[in-house]
Amino acid sequence: MTSQVAGAWRQTLLVSAGRAAAPASRTVAPDLTRRLQLMLAALWLLDAILQFQAVMFTASFARTLGATAHGNPAIVAAPIAWSAKLIAQHAVAADGVFAAIQLLIGLGMAWRPTVRLALSASIAWSLAVWWLGEGLGGLLNGTASPANGAPGAVLLYALLAVLLWPRRQHQQAGCAAAGRTGPQAVRLLWLVLWGGLAGLALAPATAAPGALSKMIAGMSGADPAWLARIDRQVAGLLSHHGPAAALGLAILLAVIAVGIYLPEPVVRPVLALAILTAAALWLAEGFGGILAGTGTDPNSGPLLGLLALAYWPLRQHDPGGSPALATGSPRAASQL
Amino acid sequence: MTGQPWLAATFAVIMIGTAGYCLTRLAVSWRWRRPTDIHVDGMHVAMGVAMAGMLVPRLRLIWAGGWEIIFAVGAGLFAWRMARTASARWARAHHVAHGARAGCQTHDAQHLLGCAAMLYMLVILAPITSRIAVPHSAAPGMPGPAAHSAVPLVLAVALLGCVAWTADRMSSMAPVADLAARQSGLAVRAGATAGSPLAAGAVPAGAPPAGAPPAGAAPAQPVPLSPRLSACCEIATGVTMGYMLITMLT
Repeated sequence: MTSQVAGAWRQTLLVSAGRAAAPASRTVAPDLTRRLQLMLAALWLLDAILQFQAVMFTASFARTLGATAHGNPAIVAAPIAWSAKLIAQHAVAADGVFAAIQLLIGLGMAWRPTVRLALSASIAWSLAVWWLGEGLGGLLNGTASPANGAPGAVLLYALLAVLLWPRRQHQQAGCAAAGRTGPQAVRLLWLVLWGGLAGLALAPATAAPGALSKMIAGMSGADPAWLARIDRQVAGLLSHHGPAAALGLAILLAVIAVGIYLPEPVVRPVLALAILTAAALWLAEGFGGILAGTGTDPNSGPLLGLLALAYWPLRQHDPGGSPALATGSPRAASQL
Repeated sequence: MTGQPWLAATFAVIMIGTAGYCLTRLAVSWRWRRPTDIHVDGMHVAMGVAMAGMLVPRLRLIWAGGWEIIFAVGAGLFAWRMARTASARWARAHHVAHGARAGCQTHDAQHLLGCAAMLYMLVILAPITSRIAVPHSAAPGMPGPAAHSAVPLVLAVALLGCVAWTADRMSSMAPVADLAARQSGLAVRAGATAGSPLAAGAVPAGAPPAGAPPAGAAPAQPVPLSPRLSACCEIATGVTMGYMLITMLT
């Protein structure tokens, strides 16, 4: 009996260890658009997990949301105050629902048959959160700055969902972002976004003496010691050169904004510069407060970087760039 | 680690379900010789039970230090599988399609990462496991056991990336019904080419009813256990592990 059992297991072992999976699945290499969709899905999953943190189930989460109403016009502030009050009354249920929605959006984006549904849901959810959770990113109350996540990280989720919408079969595009929107429209969106950030860098919230320094120092409050030390040093450097730094930042952002219209060989360095700038902004944002346990998303830095990747020019014969794979259709995937 | 007790209990239930299902897969695979990746299923059983015990201390089953050994062995196993796949790919670079081999390697890397994350959690959490199920054991915003390290965040992001990758792969996995149909089709074709009258389209007297294997057909190969459900287990395990790592930050 013992030898029979051992024999059966030996045979099972022989058909296992990867060989059994071979006929059961056909691995499909995703193209750049799909990879970016998967990165976006991973960010949504991260947001869902962050929403599960203990502090989010308390009234302090609702207070944080309610605070975004300050300084906004009444028509914007009233719904924020109403939703914050509602969330405070049902903190546990509301936060559980929020986390579940984000989890479903993330998983839906990652599963090909539901990509379009999840992208649509993410746009609707992002716009609702941009208003009710971020107070329109502080654009109307004068607190928006590239260094604190303007124009609102959640708005960038919606923008990415639009740009990474699955393109039609056999539809060619110069970059992943231009799948459905067209190259002119996506360039205009880039110009408006980065040009807008350049404009915000010159606004008093960033360019006033000491404003940038105070902003960065303020965001390092509950961060781990090593990150708080970096933020304090940066804040110290900027304390006497705030307006000049803001002007430099505005020029850098403006160069990135108009750089998308330059010829392709120059666009790549511009996009690389955009990724580096996004990384620097993310550091200034204290990684969105994730390490301090107060963040519900990683803030705008990673999303700006992802956006720059979506604009990266595609090669003519990208080995993984078959448009069929970017359609999000399981049928298209299985045909390959 | 801090967190809502009901949420920890919910994740623990999901992990117990996952471990139970994977244990069933192993039993079915052994009893009916249905192919499955027993290393992966075995690791899902171990991870499910271990994480349930970490989330709800009453569910702890193994002596202190036992899980560390199991996951260290698991990490070694998947590292070996990765190395084997890489060497096979290198050796057959001109004969084998690259995609499938690269896919297997990614799959092994994912499990290696899972084992590493489990080891990290067990080593960091060991002195403070009693705090796991205590509601608000640390004040919100106060530093947790791993607050001074970005390692949990990096591991969580990598695991969630793997979750997204697995969900993407799921749509290219055939359902079990398709696999069964494919296997029986292969068996019929094998029988037909072996000189059966069925090859010429003739229907012999006393032919078996529809659905039954025709005379002369090769015996059907066992159908693999559902790869999609195995992927679902990976997703459940990855999300739960991500949750545990993030709650270590606060």
